[in-house]
Amino acid sequence: MEKYLLIALFAPIVGSLFAAIFGDRPKNVITGIVTSALLGISFLASFYLLTYVDETHIVKVELFTWILAGNFTIPFNFIADPVSVIMMVTVTTVSTAVHVYSMGYMANDKGYNRYFSYLSAFVFSMMILVMSNNFLGLFIGWEGVGLCSWLLIGHWYHKHSASWAANEAFIMNRVADLGMLVGLFILFWNIGSLEYDVVFENIGSLDNDTVTLAAIFLFVGAMGKSAQFPLHTWLADAMEGPTPVSALIHAATMVTAGVYLVIRANEIFALVPDVGFFIACLGAFVAMFAASMALVNNDLKRIIAYSTLSQLGYMFVAAGLGAYWIALFHLMTHAFFKSVLFLGAGNVMHAMDDELNIKKMGGLNSSMKYTGLIMILASLALSGIFPFAGFFSKDAILEVAFAEHAYILWAMLWVSAGLTAFYSFRLVMLVFFGKKEHKKFGFNPHETYTFVLLAMTPLAILAIVSGFFGGAFESYVTQILPHYDNHHHISGAAILIAMTLALAIGGIMFAVYKYSNGGFDKKLEQTFIYKLLINQYYIPEAYDRFLVQPFTRASTYAWLNIDNKIVDGTVDLIATTIYKTGDKTRAMQSGNLSKMLRWMVVGLVVLLTLALFYRP
Amino acid sequence: MDSILSMLIFFPAMAAMLGFVIEKENLRTYGIAITAVEFVLSLALWASFDPNIAGYQFVQVVPLISQFGINYHVGIDGISLFLIILSTFMTMISLIGLGDMKSEKNLIVTVLFLEMTMVGVFASLDVILFYLFWELSLVPMLYIIGAWGGPKRIYAAIKFFLYTFAGSLVMLVGILYMAYLYHQATGVWSFSIPAWQELVVAFDVQLWLFAAFFIGFAIKVPMFPFHTWLPYAHGQAPTIGSVILAAVLLKMGTYGFVRFSLPMFPDAAVYFTTPIAILAIIMVIYTAMIAFAQKDMKQVIAYSSVSHMGIIVLGTFALNAEGIVGSIFLMISHGIVSGALFMLVGVIYDRRGTKMIADFGGLAHSMPRYATIFAIMLMASVGLPLTIGFVGEFLALIGFFKVSPFMTFLAGTGIILGAIYMLSMYKDSFFGVITNEKNRILSDVNKRELTALVPLIALVVILGIYPKPVLEPINNSVKLLISNMEKKSQNHETKRHLKNVNTIGEAK
Amino acid sequence: MDIGLTHYLVLSTILFSIGLYGVLKRKNLLLLFFSTEIMLNAVNIGLVAVGNHYGDLTGQMFAFFIIAVAASEVAVGLGLLVLWYRKHQTIDLDSLQDMKG
Repeated sequence: MEKYLLIALFAPIVGSLFAAIFGDRPKNVITGIVTSALLGISFLASFYLLTYVDETHIVKVELFTWILAGNFTIPFNFIADPVSVIMMVTVTTVSTAVHVYSMGYMANDKGYNRYFSYLSAFVFSMMILVMSNNFLGLFIGWEGVGLCSWLLIGHWYHKHSASWAANEAFIMNRVADLGMLVGLFILFWNIGSLEYDVVFENIGSLDNDTVTLAAIFLFVGAMGKSAQFPLHTWLADAMEGPTPVSALIHAATMVTAGVYLVIRANEIFALVPDVGFFIACLGAFVAMFAASMALVNNDLKRIIAYSTLSQLGYMFVAAGLGAYWIALFHLMTHAFFKSVLFLGAGNVMHAMDDELNIKKMGGLNSSMKYTGLIMILASLALSGIFPFAGFFSKDAILEVAFAEHAYILWAMLWVSAGLTAFYSFRLVMLVFFGKKEHKKFGFNPHETYTFVLLAMTPLAILAIVSGFFGGAFESYVTQILPHYDNHHHISGAAILIAMTLALAIGGIMFAVYKYSNGGFDKKLEQTFIYKLLINQYYIPEAYDRFLVQPFTRASTYAWLNIDNKIVDGTVDLIATTIYKTGDKTRAMQSGNLSKMLRWMVVGLVVLLTLALFYRP
Repeated sequence: MDSILSMLIFFPAMAAMLGFVIEKENLRTYGIAITAVEFVLSLALWASFDPNIAGYQFVQVVPLISQFGINYHVGIDGISLFLIILSTFMTMISLIGLGDMKSEKNLIVTVLFLEMTMVGVFASLDVILFYLFWELSLVPMLYIIGAWGGPKRIYAAIKFFLYTFAGSLVMLVGILYMAYLYHQATGVWSFSIPAWQELVVAFDVQLWLFAAFFIGFAIKVPMFPFHTWLPYAHGQAPTIGSVILAAVLLKMGTYGFVRFSLPMFPDAAVYFTTPIAILAIIMVIYTAMIAFAQKDMKQVIAYSSVSHMGIIVLGTFALNAEGIVGSIFLMISHGIVSGALFMLVGVIYDRRGTKMIADFGGLAHSMPRYATIFAIMLMASVGLPLTIGFVGEFLALIGFFKVSPFMTFLAGTGIILGAIYMLSMYKDSFFGVITNEKNRILSDVNKRELTALVPLIALVVILGIYPKPVLEPINNSVKLLISNMEKKSQNHETKRHLKNVNTIGEAK
Repeated sequence: MDIGLTHYLVLSTILFSIGLYGVLKRKNLLLLFFSTEIMLNAVNIGLVAVGNHYGDLTGQMFAFFIIAVAASEVAVGLGLLVLWYRKHQTIDLDSLQDMKG
């Protein structure tokens, strides 16, 4: 079994290195084929492990010692247990589909080979992240996906906005990574190891404050990766990257790493329910906050990005309230339907020559039937309509909130569910139905390659059916995750489900109705709320004004005034003082005999005085 | 094998003498060959080094002035071994990557002399010998900056020389007083480092001696507020000078802390932990901010060096194995990475005659390989896991965390600030569209430059993934160092502190 | 009133001061020689007086030595002075600046 684990782990990096060989050469289809094939292999190996691994058959591999110093020893070791296997399968499924999809999407890109190298490197990092058996290995993957995200967001580096967004994403993630590192430091100095087994075994013996601190700092790390408020701004800007990248990294996999961390470290978070509750509150807040921004945005990809943010909030609610397997379940279903939604958006962009403003689209359904269908299905799944995947996982989260008596959280999530349904179908309506606005701008939309659509199909099918595996999923992952059963807690779960479903359908109907009748009044755009939402609550602007600009000014000030004038000035002052003293006293040594005689007398007098009066 | 260290020290100097009689055209090949032989010698040293022995190995003692106990006394342990290898390696690489220079012959001879002094500093086990090499290393560097530097080279060279020299003089006073104390205590004169490490010094005297040594080392590191010579020296020095200065010469200061300050004055080291840590944190944050404000690529890297040296100092004064091992590893990794970065700036300077960020933009279009290599080094510099930069930084920070979580957190902001200035610089010079037509026709890295850079990349990755062969010998020697410190310390406080920072959880 | 040791020493001090003043003030090398002679003889007076006071001959002996040294010094010095005058047509002190830095 070990060899399957290693194959699953290392196949992507082999592909990445292979593509890197062709890095600076013109497009070569072979890079796309080889990387996709290797990911397929990785997927098969992961799937095989899925069938093999259970509670009693956990596969562990230890390669060699990585770091060793004093009390600190950490090896490279990997694990395939039910949780990581689920992640592995999810990641490889989506990435294989995205790789194949990219072969069509990036077909005319100059950086084709480079792109595939980065993309496979990303998958490798993600695999390390989910498969590592210690926190530091997780951190490798954590930073690795950050690096690949930087590379891929900045893939079109000639665009200022792309390279800027790449840097923003990297730096903001670094802020969170510091938090995570501190969390690791706390764990290490209290337990003496960073390996999962040892940490989880001994975490119970620590005092509550320490565990709370560790949990908080670990969660700060999760906040960055999963773009939770206030570290969320990078995710929307990250949409500057190629669309398949957004599908893979900024929807299905990397951004869920934070959720994965909380699930993986559930034994830590379970000890401190207060921190868990805070996580849930933040999650509920983000779910609503992001959904509200998605309501008014006109950028095709940003709308989906905000919806990702919102869904991540849902996952954190579940994880924070202790329903880890439900969080993981939503993570998985979300990965399927959100990635296919993004890929559909990619098709639309392709058809519209990279136009992103949905106000300039409309009526695309006639020319892109299949894409339209897929996107409608995915939107239904996102809105949580029965029998699509989102219904099962999202409803479960709402039930958790209700069962934990967190009614306010439940209400927030409930409202967000309505908002989600509305903005999803606002997007669908504006893009695929209604007036063909694009005619005005001279676009000529067309359906994409067949193989690209084929690559999307498995994901679309999973987006439809994966919800039905909820039961099997639960019994599989709860072999190592704590059990959480809603149905014992609440009576009348059916009413809750019906309420949510009704709201979601209502939201959809409203969107369909409004936008088939010409949409909202333009006057609404003058209102304060609209301006607040379209400007993302002015948060990016505030960051720029209160963090970036002061930092730049302070840096320049520190350089020009403090370092050059004060610190270096003092040094130079000492030097010039010595120099000037020398220059001034040089006159004594003029060579003039009479002057020298006088100095001699002065010296004589000084010596005489000393001889007379100095008594030690 | 007994005299391999002496060979390592004096071989480059002998070769440099011989170099004067070799004709100009062949001297570059000659220089590379000599440094390559030297590097192989240092590898042989590593090969025959026994990692299980924590103490000094390859010790050789030849009396010089026996009535004062001044000996030619060399030897290495796990701490100095890799710094020697770093010196020989970086000298070789910098000569391979050397661009066309005027009076190349003199430059190469100077570099060979410099190599002798660098190896000498790390191999010396006699304080006078150490001081001799320490001061001698200034001369070739002064010459390199002053003769091959930029327009303000004389100012920079003199500043570099006088500043570090002044610090060393304070240290010399400390050395003489320490020798006097040794004479008082034992009745014999000795300048042997191992003997001095055994000597127990009264606490209040320790404070003064520590301060005297500290000034000498701190200026060399350079620690805030003694760092201002560095931007000038780097700004004016030719590429090869910057590479060696950043890669090796700065490490002498932090090596001094580990070799002298900690084992000789353990109580003072514990006593001064907090003020030094504050200075180190200022170094990390303040110089990172200044690096962000720079408009010159080389200055960005120069200030980033200071920032990273702050982490090294912090890790050293964690006084636990994690921190000190991390610091020493960070010395090596920073040597490789900053050397590579300075070399990379040299590559573009050779082509365009400028290193201002504003003159570039879109370099990734015209020089994709160069951009890739730069990106790898940049990522190593910001401490991405699986690159060499992560291991040391992580260990140094985790080490100091036990001493003070809050201060570690502050120092940890260095990893954020590092990403900020490095990525901004990278974005402004490599991304975007080409705005200056001169940049469109630039040729990518050539064979010579690749030969120099590829080994660095390989090391960055290999030691990032498998640092164990380096960490293990360092770890053994550092453990010995710490147990000696604990044994020698007189204050109860010190013993408790040392025990505490070296134990998981609460120390009993 | 007896003339005692004190009077001799005061005389010696006065003469010495006159000599010192001359050394500081005069620019003419010849007068400088005069001044130094005055200083030397002031010292001689002091030595002889103190020697007499203690009944010790060493003081007088020393005075003779100084006279002899002074004589030879004057002989050599005047010779140099004449040479200097021949070369530079001046014996002004400020002209002796060949070694000025």
